[in-house]
This record gives sequence, structure tokens and C-alpha cells, in this order.
Amino acid sequence: MVDIGRRSLLGGATAGVAAGTLAARARAAAAPDIVIGAVYPLTGNAAPIGHDAQIALALEADIINGHYDVPMLLGQGGGLPALGGAKIKLVFADSQNSPQIARTEAERLITEEHVVAIIGSYTSATAVTISQICNRYEIPYISAENSAPSLSQQGLSWFFRPSPTDFDFSKSMFDFFAAIGKKTGRPVRSVAIIHENSVFGTGSAEIQAALAKKAGIKVLADISYQASTPSLAVEAERLKAANADVVMPSSYTSDAILLVRAMHDAGYAPKAILAQDAGFIDPAFFKAVGPLGEGVMSRSSFAIDAVEARPAIPKVNAMFQARDAGKNLNDLTAREVTALQVLADAINRAGTTRNTALQAALRATNIPGNQTIMPWVGIKFDATGQNTEGNPVIQQYQNGVWHTIFPFDVATAPAVWKVGT
Amino acid sequence: MTVRPNAITMRRRRELIGGAVLLVLLALLPLPIANAYLRGLIVLTLLYAGLSQGWNILGGYCGQISLGHALYFGIGAYASAILFTRYGIPPPLGMFASAALGALAALLVGWPCFRLSGHYYAIATLVMGMMVLLLAQNWGFVNAAMGITIPFRKQSWVDLEFRIAVLPFHYLMLAYAAIAWAIAWVVEGSRWGFSWRAVKDDVAAAESLAVRVFPSKMAAAAISGAITAVGGALYAQYVGFIDPDSGLGLSLSVLIALPAVVGGVGTLWGPIVGAAVLIPVQQLSVAWLGGSGNGVDLMFYGALIMALALARPQGLVSLFGARSRAGGEVADRA
Repeated sequence: MVDIGRRSLLGGATAGVAAGTLAARARAAAAPDIVIGAVYPLTGNAAPIGHDAQIALALEADIINGHYDVPMLLGQGGGLPALGGAKIKLVFADSQNSPQIARTEAERLITEEHVVAIIGSYTSATAVTISQICNRYEIPYISAENSAPSLSQQGLSWFFRPSPTDFDFSKSMFDFFAAIGKKTGRPVRSVAIIHENSVFGTGSAEIQAALAKKAGIKVLADISYQASTPSLAVEAERLKAANADVVMPSSYTSDAILLVRAMHDAGYAPKAILAQDAGFIDPAFFKAVGPLGEGVMSRSSFAIDAVEARPAIPKVNAMFQARDAGKNLNDLTAREVTALQVLADAINRAGTTRNTALQAALRATNIPGNQTIMPWVGIKFDATGQNTEGNPVIQQYQNGVWHTIFPFDVATAPAVWKVGT
Repeated sequence: MTVRPNAITMRRRRELIGGAVLLVLLALLPLPIANAYLRGLIVLTLLYAGLSQGWNILGGYCGQISLGHALYFGIGAYASAILFTRYGIPPPLGMFASAALGALAALLVGWPCFRLSGHYYAIATLVMGMMVLLLAQNWGFVNAAMGITIPFRKQSWVDLEFRIAVLPFHYLMLAYAAIAWAIAWVVEGSRWGFSWRAVKDDVAAAESLAVRVFPSKMAAAAISGAITAVGGALYAQYVGFIDPDSGLGLSLSVLIALPAVVGGVGTLWGPIVGAAVLIPVQQLSVAWLGGSGNGVDLMFYGALIMALALARPQGLVSLFGARSRAGGEVADRA
């Protein structure tokens, strides 16, 4: 548009009119692409996660742009109907998992690539700087899978998070304890918390300790360790000595493997393990620990087995498998697909990419859960931009497959509950 | 050669004039650049020029290769961020606390570590840095692993908070890099500067000439720590977030040392030249090649550093005929 303006000034009225008609014709032929930025760690230790995120986001863009007829919101394809079938175009940037590089790259996406919104970013540390930059430039930041509760308490008016937070996740665990205790008559009386010592594990453990206290459950151990540790033998012995009803780990992959093996070596078989996602849902974990993984429980925001209530799952998952070496959608990739869906829906309802209209449309978001692939009630943002209807689920690894066991109304299998036996 | 300490020789006068000209040019540099991203690049380059100049005083002039400078950076960043977010003390004041704590930390590290020499000293500083990283990750007072967010409230020079304008940060970082350079210029010609070079060349010979080795190392450490800490405080204010990994990580220690090493260890211009090459290359390669996620940007960056190290082991400034003041002349005559 700038180009046309300059030409009409230089070339006089005739050229201006000609350029104007050309532009109008071009607009009628194909609506301009809607450019959306995505900042993820594409290199470094979190690179595999960023790689999967790229595939998940590109998949959802493809579903919206193409013609795959997926039974969910905007699944019919053909671009955004309210914008003349405009296509979603993604621009990826590498944060290298550094808050400073994430900040610089977000600024570049906004000022150079003219993105209308940014999706990100896996780690909470990078989300802090990206969301602040987005707020300063007044474009929406859609947090796909950052789970630190503090992010939505920064007072940012351009921050939107469809995903549950770590608080919601841990709360669902204690809701589960209460419900299963009532159901089986064998309540949880004590827990042992073990966590890696970065943002993820520390934050998770703090919330769990507070919720346990509130629920009147004793915390018999609260152990922190470095995720890169070569051994967790001492920690396993301490867990054995504590012998709590439930072991609650917040671990990444290699340390989750170490922990489960170390407990086995120590001759300790916990009655229940309820994990904070992450390492304990990594397929590599089950490959490494084999039968020791049986019966492990984890919270999740995604339930791949909820196909009856969420009919879009099989198709989206099959498409994802075809693009990502046969991997299933998981807790992270499913939320990334949904984040782009939520953003595209808001752009479509706004009918424009103007930032204030987009912000208003995001605030008015109201998507029922069955229009997504998530087991959530739905997506509705509160004043802080946090989804109030994104309830997590508890899953259990039974006979080599994850089954949703809580909430009971969406459960696909009964829980194997050994506490109190 | 009978140069007295603090004498303004022709050469030092030329350096001063060169510095002033560069300062004016850098002050004008962002004006024709409308692009916020490019301006941001320059801001980072200036920050690292200052940080690396700080490292250069200890690692270059005094020859004590520190691999733990992230420690002082982190202390400076945390001090100013905590004073600002918890106690409402504006960063321009908080920076003095940062400088003082940075200097103190450098003295505390120096006290035991300067008894070691060469590689042992470098390893000891690395371990000190890792220790503090672990402490910070588990210390509730500094928010442990969660880090500290500096929320943007309002545009203000007192709080050093600016909405979009990169320009104020340009002048802040320029002032920082200029002050770091000026300090290096002053100490280079001072009695300390002479002592440091003597210590770097040969400790035994220096001692025989009545150079007080340990105090002069401690002085270099304190100045170096203070400069690095102030850079940390500015970084926290610029990025708006500080956590143990980004403020105290090992890779940061390397990043601080790298511009001086690539540009020319123990030279006045080395850190600036090194930063001017490395930081734009690093950031632009991320921007241009990073989106694919295949790590080409990192390979490119690594290959460039290797090529520079092989082609110009004395640093890039040797291209301009500048020689290391830290012993180069002595070595030439030997």
C-alpha cells in the first residue's frame, strides 16, 4: 500500500487511479495472507520440543488453509471465511531458549515481519520477555503451553492463555485425591514431593506443598535435585524411607528415568506415582523403564483417548503422525494446535487484523470444548487473559497405553488405585 | 622507554581523540536507522562492548583469565532488579549498589583464587560461577529458579523504563560502553596498568621489581567486577527479566569474554571491535537462519569464531596495527 501511495504521488492522478484499481482487483482475487509469528527454542537442549511445535502449528495452519474437513472450529478449511478466505502464514523464530534472544526475535517479528500476533514459547522464562514486548507493541501474545501461573499476573492486556496453569494442574491432582478417596474409601493421607530445581519443578512443588497443606495431607518429603544429575540413588532412598501414599515427581525425561530405576534398585515400589507431566509422558521414558512405567499417573491437559467427546482427535492425530515421524499428538503439541485455532477464530470474528479489534475479539472468545481437540469445558478468557474453562485431566499408563481416569465423566478406564491396600 | 604513569603520551592522546570521535559517531548512528530491530542490535552490541571491556581489565591487562564473570553480571542484575521491584529504588541508584556488590564479589572470589595461577585460576572462577548459579536456583529470596520480572509500568527515565523507544537504551548503553572504555583508558596508563602488565608477563619478575602482585590483581578484579555488574543491571532493565540461567549461566561468562578475546585481549579497542563483529553476526544469523531450526546459525557463528581465532590469534585489532599493550612490546623486544 505504501508503494502505491508513493507511485500515485510521483506519477500523477492517472497512475494513482490505475494503481488503486489494480490493488482492488488483487484483493478480490486473493485476500492477503495473515502473518502470525511463533517463537520457540529451535536449537539447544529444548530443540526437540520446538521442532514438534513447528510441526503442530504448521499442521493447524494447513487445516485452516486447506480442505481437510476436520470436525472442529475452522476445520472445514478454505482460509478464514470472514476475511475472504485469507490464509494463515506462519513465521518461526528461534529463541535458543534465552529470554534475551526471545525478546529480540519477538521484536524483529513485530517490526520486520509485521506479524499480527505471536504464539509461543514452551519455557516460561522466554514467555516473560516475549509477552512484555508484545504488550509494548500492543499485539496479542498467545501462550500455547507456558504454564507458570505468574505469567497471567503480570498485568498485561495483550496476554492470552488457553492452556491451564501449573496451579490448575496441581489442583486437579488434589481434586483427584479427594474424589478417588471418596469413591474407594482409601484416601491419600501423605505424599512425597520430588522435583527438579528449575522454574518448572520448583514452581510445581511449591504449589503442591501448599495444596497438600490445605487438603490436610502430610508432606513426608520435599526433595529437590538438578535435572542433569547423574544419579538419584540417595533421593530414592529418602523416598523409600518416607514411604508416602503417593510420590509426586516433577521431572524431565532423563531424570524421570533415573528416578524410577533408582527406586526400583532401592527395592521401593511406591503405591502410586502421580507425575507433573513432562518427562513422565515422554515416550522415551516408557521405552527406557519398560514395565516399571506401568501404573504411573500424570496430569495432562490433553486426552488422546477422548475420541467420543472430541471427534476431531483421530483425524488431527493421523495428520500429525504423517508429518512427525509417526509420533502421536501429546500434551504440548495438542495445545499448540489449539492456540493457533483460538487465535485464528478471534481474527475471523474480528474480520480484520487491526490490533484493538483482535484484542476485543480474543476477549470475547467463547469456544465450546467439543469444537477443539482438548478435553476442556471450553475456552473463555478472564480479565487477565487466562482461560477459565481449561480443566486438566488425570491419566494412567495401563497395559502400555494412557487412559484418562479423572474427571470420572470423561474417564475412559477406571483407575488402578493401590493406596491403602 | 621511560614512560611515567599517568603521562599523556602522543599515543594516548590519539586514543583519546579516537574515542571521542567514535563516541560522537555512535551517538549519531541510530538517528538515520528507523528500524527498531537494527537499533536493538546496536543496543546489545554496546552492552557487550562495555561488559567485555570490564572483563578485559582483569582478563586482558592483568592476564587473569576469568570464566566466571557471569557471577558479577548476575549479582549486578539481581541487585538492581530486587531493589527496584521490591523496594522501589530506581535503577540509576540501584546501579551503584550493583557496582559495589560486583566489586565486593570480585574481591571475595579473588581472595582465594588469586593464589592460583594460569589454568587453575580459570577453573576456579568457573567453579565459583557455577556455585553461585546453583545457590541462586535454590534461594527463595531471589525467587530461586523462577527469576525476577521487571514489570513495565510507565515510560520513565528515573525507572529506566521505555515503552518501545530503543533510543533511550541506545544512549544508556553508549554511556555505559563509553565509561567502561574511559576507565580502561585511565587505568591503562596508571601505575596499576603498568603493574598489571608486569604481572601478566612474569609474576616472579614483577615481584622482583617490587610490584605488589596480589593487591594489584585485587584492584583489577574489583574494577572489572564493578563494570560487569553495572552491565548486568542495565541488561535486566532492558530485557525486563532475569533468572539464574540467563543471568549467571556459564555460557554468559563465555559471551562476556568472547568480544575481548576475538577483538584483542588487553587492548583498548579489542572489546569494542569484537562486540561490533560478534553480536550482530550472532543475532542476525539467528534471525536469518534460526527459523529453520537446523542449527545452521550456530554452526556459522562457531565457524566464524574459529576462523577469526586461527587467522588473527592476537585479535582483530591487530589488523589495524594496534598491538596489545599488555606485554606485546616486551615480547617484541625479547
